[in-house]
Amino acid sequence: MRTIAEINEKILSGKATVWTIEELKAKVKKLGIKKTYEKVDVICTGTFEPMESSGAILNLGHTDPPMKIRKCWLDGVPAYAGFGAVDLYLGATALSDYSSINDHGDNFPSHIAEKGGSHVIENLIAGKSVTIKAIGQVTDCYPRASFESNITAETINQFYLYNPRNLYQNFIVGVNGGDRILYTYLGPLLPRLGNAVYSSIGAMSPLLNDPHLEAIGIGTKIFLGGAQGMIVWEGTQHFPLQKRLPNDTPIGPAATLALVGDAKKMSREWVRGCYFKNYGSSLMLGVGIPFPVLNEKIIEHCSVEDENIVAPVVDFSIPRRVRPSFGLVNYAQLKHGKIKIEGQTVTVASVASMYLGRKVAETLKKWILDGDFTLSEPVAPLPQDRSFVSQDGII
Amino acid sequence: MKKRVNLTFPRSVVQMPVTYRLAKDFNIAANIIRGQVAPNQVGKLVLELSGDIDQLDAAIDWMKANNIGVSLTTGEIIIDEETCVHCGLCTGVCPTESLTLNPNTYKLQFRQQTCIVCEQCIPTCPVQAISTNL
Repeated sequence: MRTIAEINEKILSGKATVWTIEELKAKVKKLGIKKTYEKVDVICTGTFEPMESSGAILNLGHTDPPMKIRKCWLDGVPAYAGFGAVDLYLGATALSDYSSINDHGDNFPSHIAEKGGSHVIENLIAGKSVTIKAIGQVTDCYPRASFESNITAETINQFYLYNPRNLYQNFIVGVNGGDRILYTYLGPLLPRLGNAVYSSIGAMSPLLNDPHLEAIGIGTKIFLGGAQGMIVWEGTQHFPLQKRLPNDTPIGPAATLALVGDAKKMSREWVRGCYFKNYGSSLMLGVGIPFPVLNEKIIEHCSVEDENIVAPVVDFSIPRRVRPSFGLVNYAQLKHGKIKIEGQTVTVASVASMYLGRKVAETLKKWILDGDFTLSEPVAPLPQDRSFVSQDGII
Repeated sequence: MKKRVNLTFPRSVVQMPVTYRLAKDFNIAANIIRGQVAPNQVGKLVLELSGDIDQLDAAIDWMKANNIGVSLTTGEIIIDEETCVHCGLCTGVCPTESLTLNPNTYKLQFRQQTCIVCEQCIPTCPVQAISTNL
């Protein structure tokens, strides 16, 4: 048994052994679990994938005369203003209502509809200037009625990501058994099982290596968008009670996390606005989690391979909440690029980047080796007993 | 040698069996890459012609003389390395497997030679990193 305090001492004195999740899996194959446990202190995981339940909190600072913002647009994208006077929440999937280009009488350009809150977040993180238009509720405290200006990350008080649901522990594989193309949050799904799309990086994915969330908790420091962030709560739709294989990995979408991090310190490399044709805007995000190697169980869980993690193949052509499934496939098959569905060979692609996910893990490893990042003790465990309810009320 | 051509047929020549004439008169193998041809409408055809260089030039002259519009500047798929996040979503809609992920580095790799410029990858890319130079 080791403690996080002991590991941190090793990190600060430059004596910690830190491996990425891929290095760890290779070592376990060679040395076995017991010997690997003796050698390594920290395991770094990372992923880079669309996480649409994300957004940014912004506090603008007060105008003179002051103003209570009730409606607001950043580069034409509406931000929520129903709380403190100049507090805003910009959701990643909010789509632009208008373009500033339009004010000059130009034709409505088609690409404007393809821009959303995620692109505005990316631009602010990249240091770019963003237009703001706001309408206020006039009161004795806040007499100003409207405001137009430009802001950057530097000219506002707070700018941090507060993401209600990130880092899904496993997900689904989308296919289309119908006869017309479907535009989904997994990208275009071609008719008659023309392609399949998955969205987890399998055995490299952070939470699939800690199936019961025993190595992390509320308060765990993480890599978020290129800066240090934190796990602050369970994510929305957190569903740890999903069915699991004997190796404890879930057979479909399960645990999720709510994450926070200072967007002023993030970099565009790890926070990217994206747009799925005829579906909408989403945020591609780099997230990395370090696991302290406290006991052998952590090594055992981290040694899981793609062959032993599965996801359900779901038919999006049935427009219902519960869609029919073509059964389970494992991530080794998915990463191979072809799966068989009802005798038909189907090309598979991923919407998550293994290339950048690996780079997140490597970057986090470097931070720890350089002594720039230490591990934090969780202040509370993440719940293990959340059920997954639906809205079935009859009107 | 090979040449890729964009052909535009006026309504009057849509009836002409062009690929047959290319083969018979110029000994040219014409591989149809894309086509949109219907009776009594302006037709479009993208062909990869392979044959002797002089025969190719003669064939292009012959097509022009028959009122077929010939353009040699066919679009190519261009991937913006700065923008690409290497998710690989495009690889799933590429019919010729010209877009693939490197099995070791997981980086996107593109093989221009086999690309038929079907452009399915362009709207698929979530970060709009793919375009044509057409």
